Amino acid sequence: MTVNDICKDIDAEVICGDTSKEFCGVYVGDLLSRAMSHVECGNLWVTIMSNVNVAAVATLTEPAAVILAEDVELQEDAFKGANENGITVLRSPLSAYEICVRLHEAAV
Amino acid sequence: MDELSLYVLDITMNSVRAGATEITVELREDGKWLDFTVSDNGCGMTREQLAKLENPFFTTRKTRKVGLGIPFLKMLAEMTGGYVKITSVHESESSDHGTVTMARFGCDHIDFIPLGDMVETVKALIQGSPEINFVYRHSNDKGEVYLSCAEMKAVLGDIPLNEPEILSWIGENLREQYKGIGIV
Repeated sequence: MTVNDICKDIDAEVICGDTSKEFCGVYVGDLLSRAMSHVECGNLWVTIMSNVNVAAVATLTEPAAVILAEDVELQEDAFKGANENGITVLRSPLSAYEICVRLHEAAV
Repeated sequence: MDELSLYVLDITMNSVRAGATEITVELREDGKWLDFTVSDNGCGMTREQLAKLENPFFTTRKTRKVGLGIPFLKMLAEMTGGYVKITSVHESESSDHGTVTMARFGCDHIDFIPLGDMVETVKALIQGSPEINFVYRHSNDKGEVYLSCAEMKAVLGDIPLNEPEILSWIGENLREQYKGIGIV
């Protein structure tokens, strides 16, 4: 399944990056030091954190996409970092929980 | 990193990598704030390096292109109402070079994380770099925990501080001192 396939399911808009990437598995979490050791390459990473450190952690862990829950605004330097490093970022108005439920229903 | 001691370790390792021979790690608690300060006589940073320090896409590491030590520390300190202040003199500017990193955390804040085991942290630092003269202080309203590697070396002579017996003595001594200031 590609990132593009689930955008509609979770009412997400694309903030930046390529959505044709295949993904596998999901990680949910906001404590960045923990995400750094738990997000796996190719995951969807759902979080409400939106600062530049999110882009840095994503650069290290290489998720297929970062999904910002609850419509949080990606900060400008974070957008720059994500864009320059090819990180795909989506934004959804749903809570992290609801995003996971919808992803499950979409048979992820 | 869900304990502050891991941040202390991380910041102190920056001093080790900067080639410091003297590193002071100081924790101060006054009930409202927990301040920690790491001072070293390492190579220091240039103004350009210092300006980029809070950007995680800047790092002196060669192995990866992202550095999160200072960004994470700053984020955590600010989340608890505190701040991080870093001053540095690069070796090209003065013979009196080095870096001072000070971080303040609000102990009452809901996002404050536990300090964790500082005794094990200090032991890990000495074990990894027995040649460095660490000074460790942790004070609160009841008193102070104090350790000086240089003073221990003066007594021990040629015996390296990372000998298992010495390390275990350091651990016991620190724990004993911690009891004295009401931290077990």
